[in-house]
Amino acid sequence: MRTAIAIAAAVFLSGAAMPAVAQPQKAASVTISVKNHRFQPAELHAPANVPIMLHVKNLDSTPMEFESVSLRVEKVVTGNGEGLIRLRPLSPGRYNFFDDFHQQTTGVLVVR
Amino acid sequence: MRFVSSPTAAVAALLFVATGAVAHAQDNAQNNALVFRDVETKYIFGFTEGSGIGLEGEKEFSLDTEAKIGKRDGRYWASETKFEYEFTPSQYVQFELGPFMSIDSIHNVTGFDDQSQVGFGGVFGEIRYLLLDRSAGQPLSVTLSLEPEWRRIGDNGGEHENSFELEAKVNADVELIKNRLYLGSNLLYEPEATKDPDGIGAGWEMESMGGVSGALSYRITPSVFIGGEVWYLRHYAGAWFNEFEGDAVYVGPTLFVQLNPKMFISVAWNVQVDGSEEDNPDAGLNLEEFSHNRAKFKFAVEF
Repeated sequence: MRTAIAIAAAVFLSGAAMPAVAQPQKAASVTISVKNHRFQPAELHAPANVPIMLHVKNLDSTPMEFESVSLRVEKVVTGNGEGLIRLRPLSPGRYNFFDDFHQQTTGVLVVR
Repeated sequence: MRFVSSPTAAVAALLFVATGAVAHAQDNAQNNALVFRDVETKYIFGFTEGSGIGLEGEKEFSLDTEAKIGKRDGRYWASETKFEYEFTPSQYVQFELGPFMSIDSIHNVTGFDDQSQVGFGGVFGEIRYLLLDRSAGQPLSVTLSLEPEWRRIGDNGGEHENSFELEAKVNADVELIKNRLYLGSNLLYEPEATKDPDGIGAGWEMESMGGVSGALSYRITPSVFIGGEVWYLRHYAGAWFNEFEGDAVYVGPTLFVQLNPKMFISVAWNVQVDGSEEDNPDAGLNLEEFSHNRAKFKFAVEF
């Protein structure tokens, strides 16, 4: 019985001592727009090693497809619509992306 | 070392050249300033699979044919065509599944029954998990894949059977030159269980295959990769590499062409250049468990 109590106390104390470990990482929020088939801004910035919520606003009347091999995402955003892309925590670096429906429309996410 | 000189090889060579030329022309016409974007590496190495797992939200349908061609004598063709649905629900995991069709044309091959058939071969599934992600300053990417498969037509002799196999692979690749040159490698372990293959009430017969590959793929235009690969395969009786039965070394060229943003083909041709059979020590090749040539053709449409 005393062993069980000791184990329970140890588990409780270890949890209380490391609240940061149990909490989910707070996501960074970044927004980009597309107008006249150009990303605005063409270069985005985000912090490293935290999840990123990337909001994509398509201000054109035609659909676009946000795509990036290095970010490993693709998402179609309807004309005059919005899309939300959840990115995994990223290492520092430059991550290129483009509109797969208009291949000249390119941008880069800089993670620091 | 033996090389193939069959009409099939000539057709394959023509296909290599023709598809590459078409894609090169497209690149020149559409894109005067050639842009070499990041690329998915999964299909650029031929039989060797790259570490790519697709893009989250991406779905793909493909026809994926692998053919074994040629034995020691007679005429031998055994192919399987997968009707494959692939989807990537997250940035770490990819799934594939589908049925496959078997085509066998085997005539006058020593040790094999004659077969001439086209039929439903079985079903397969695959899960791929990205273990190590490529990033700036870290060019290596590693994926683990598991592919269970149920088969009702044997993939070597075309005989009717009831078998299960699990293809476990480590797929790794390194970006040697940014967006241009890639080195890929696979590590393979594939146990298989076949129910009473000789029809004598002997229960389940176990076998296994192990292998390792190395491949290079170079991007000559934004849409075209050419390369080569080497495979070393070992076949065993028993599920855990119990009793060595033979091995084979394959080498051959590979081609990947992005036909348009949502469509690609991947082609590979492997020739067995060395091998051994436990039951036939004088054989310079292993044409009992392996074929003389093997070919792969994949056509995929993303949506």
